[in-house]
Order: sequence, then structure tokens, then C-alpha cells
Amino acid sequence: MTSPFWPGAAPKSRGAVALVVIDMQVDFCAPGGWIDQLGEDVSATRAVIPAIARVLGAAREAGIHVVHTREGHQPDLSDLPANKQWRTRVHGLGIGDAGRDGRILVRGEPGFEIVPELAPVAGELVIDKPGKSGFHATTLEDDLHRLGVTHLVITGVTSDCCVQSTFRDAFERGFAAAVLEDCTAAVELPNHAATIEILKADGGRWGRVSDTRGFLAALEALG
Amino acid sequence: MTDLEAPARAGALPPVDAAPYAFPFDGRWSAADTALLLLGFQAGAVQALNAGDAVTVATDLLAAARRAGIAVIHVRRGAAEGAARGVAGVAPDAPVTGSPAWALVPALAAREGDLVLDVPGDQAFRAPALEGVLTTSGIRNLIVAGLPTDGLVHASMRAANDRGLECLVVADASAGTTPARHAAQLRITTFGNGLFGTVAPAAAVIAALSRTTP
Repeated sequence: MTSPFWPGAAPKSRGAVALVVIDMQVDFCAPGGWIDQLGEDVSATRAVIPAIARVLGAAREAGIHVVHTREGHQPDLSDLPANKQWRTRVHGLGIGDAGRDGRILVRGEPGFEIVPELAPVAGELVIDKPGKSGFHATTLEDDLHRLGVTHLVITGVTSDCCVQSTFRDAFERGFAAAVLEDCTAAVELPNHAATIEILKADGGRWGRVSDTRGFLAALEALG
Repeated sequence: MTDLEAPARAGALPPVDAAPYAFPFDGRWSAADTALLLLGFQAGAVQALNAGDAVTVATDLLAAARRAGIAVIHVRRGAAEGAARGVAGVAPDAPVTGSPAWALVPALAAREGDLVLDVPGDQAFRAPALEGVLTTSGIRNLIVAGLPTDGLVHASMRAANDRGLECLVVADASAGTTPARHAAQLRITTFGNGLFGTVAPAAAVIAALSRTTP
């Protein structure tokens, strides 16, 4: 059966669906985190927290799988590419370096944690990733196959970076995905708007772009 | 003596004038550690995207890369005639493998010694051989050009970056599905001092390639 929400066939059951919440970490979307310390504006990435909290609540109530991702590196930085470190240092504050409240995007540091409003609960999958795509150098693909997940609903930050990488990669790895436009944001609005336009082009090359309302209706349709 | 104090190694290339930073980030590149990645320069895509200008520029770039002895890797998009498209990682517009639309355009045809890889989707690292070849060849720098900027090119750069490879995208040797999407993906590439690498015109790359340290 086709649906306006999913690309291709709708999932066979609720168990085949996972809500993916990408990188809603202090470093990306809270005062005092990395982006904030860079002097950039976190208001856009913070603004989607209530919308994501709503879909997270609906997903928990519906009993679909929930996956959270966190971008960050091992404390010895053995998984941090040299160019990624250099670019961020030149930009103002390097990944792995000491920020005001701990090291930037390093596993176990305060900035690496998910914001409290969206904290994972027991039974939810938490994927720690060194790259932008949630699938790169992680167990995500295997975990989704193990759980029988075929369809992904993608939310989180940032739309132009990790959300776009994970969405494209989901398609390449054979998953049907929809990204919720009102549950994703970028630091700069032009990059967010351009990303959404590109992901929507031609009806969505790599999946669909929908919103909270579309997601809730699709959940309802699954019965 | 540390490596940084060492005299330029034989074959070292000068930095490419690029934005937001000169390529490569650490100034270390030579023909031995660099590949030219030509993505999706296939007859059907060139026609659909009206990308003749990008092909002309890429032809000059390819000639300069060949003179410098840089490895050349071609990636073609394609899928079997009967394969379902738009699902399971097969691009909605993947040309039929072996068809005229699927063929590399003559100006950018592969030569003996080039690597030619095929992918069903929009991301070069879907070709199982690519990552291994780069690793075993000691390639750490990629010069990337292709079609479309907002599809195969950008997705491949994202995948390359996650793998720690240093990327330069050649703006005028690539074309998007629209000029606005081309520009937008390059802007996202350069965000935050190069989220996915750095950007230059072909002339800057060709200038650097012509000035090898003897």
C-alpha cells in the first residue's frame, strides 16, 4: 500500500518503523555548547526541541523503535580525522579541544550529552558516531536489520550536515526514509532552506520530506 | 628533523588557491597521494543537465591530471534494465547499464590504467572497491568533479569526509540539477571553514598541477 508519507510501500507494521533523532546534543543546540562557544546562534537548533519532543512522545506511545545518535570522538581522538580537527580549530574551537565546560564533541563530556528534554529512555538505541552519517563506522545498519526496521523517520540537527548525510545514506543502504521538516534545523537558515529544497526536489530522490502532522497520520494509518 | 621542517619532497605540489582554505589542509600533496574522481560524466546526465560547459572544463582538468601522473577514477551511475528504481538504493533516474545514456562522454573517456567503478545510487563509495583502492594506494587527497553537484558529487564528498579523506571540489567542472542547488551545495561544503572540504575553479587546480617540485 502506498501512502503520502512514505516513499514507496508503507511499512508492514509499527515494528518496522524507527524514529531517528540525530545529534540533539548540548554541543549543537544548548547554551554553553560548542556552537554557542563559537559565537554562533543556537536559537534555530534549539527551536525544534519541542517539536521533536512531541514526535518522540508519539513514537514512544505507539511503540515504534527509537534511535538517538550522538556525534563525538574517543577521548584519545583516535577516530578524529586530522582535517576535521584542523578545520574546526581554524574556525575557532577545535573538536577535541577544551571548551568552557569540557572537551568539544568528545564522548563522555558534558557537551556530548543529549539535551535533557530529549534524553533517551531505557530500551532506546543510542548510536555514537564519529562521522556525519549515522551509518558510517557504527552498528546502526546492523541494528536496524536485527530489529526488522525498514522505514526511518529522521529528525534532529543539523539539517544541512548530519541529517542530510544520514538521510542520503539511508537511501543508499536500502531504507525508506522520511525527514520531518519541522523537526530539523541548521545553524544558518539559508543552508537549511536549500537543504530542504534539494531533498524535496522531484518528489524526493532519496526519500520524502514531511512534517509532524504527516508523521502522526502515518502512525495512525499503521493501526 | 620533523617532517614539517623537511625540504619539499620530490613531486610535492604547491597548494591550490581555494576557498575557504588552500588545498590540501596540511599542504601535503603529490601525484602519489592524490586521485582525480570524475563522477557521473555520462552521456545522458550531460544532456539532461545541459552540462557541456562542465565537461569542457573537466576535459582540461583531466589532461592536467594525466600530465601530472595523478590516478584517475571514473564513477558511473547505472542499473540493470529491469531493476526497480527509486527504492533499495537504486537512483530514480539510474541509466540502463550498457545503454548510450550510461556511457562516459567521449571527452572524458577512461584510459588504460584508470579505475572505472559502477554504482546503482548516488554515492561513489557504494562501489565496494573504492575505499580499498584508495587505502592500498596511499591516496589521502581527492580532487572531485562531476554531475550532478547536488547528487553524486555532494554525497560522495560527504562519504569521503567521514573516511578522513581531504577533498577539493572543482566548481566549474561540476554542474547541479539547477544552478541554485549547485551553489547551495558548495556553500554547505564551505560552511564552518570547510564542513566537507574546499572549493576551487579548475584553473587554480591546473596552475598548481603544472608547478611540481622537481
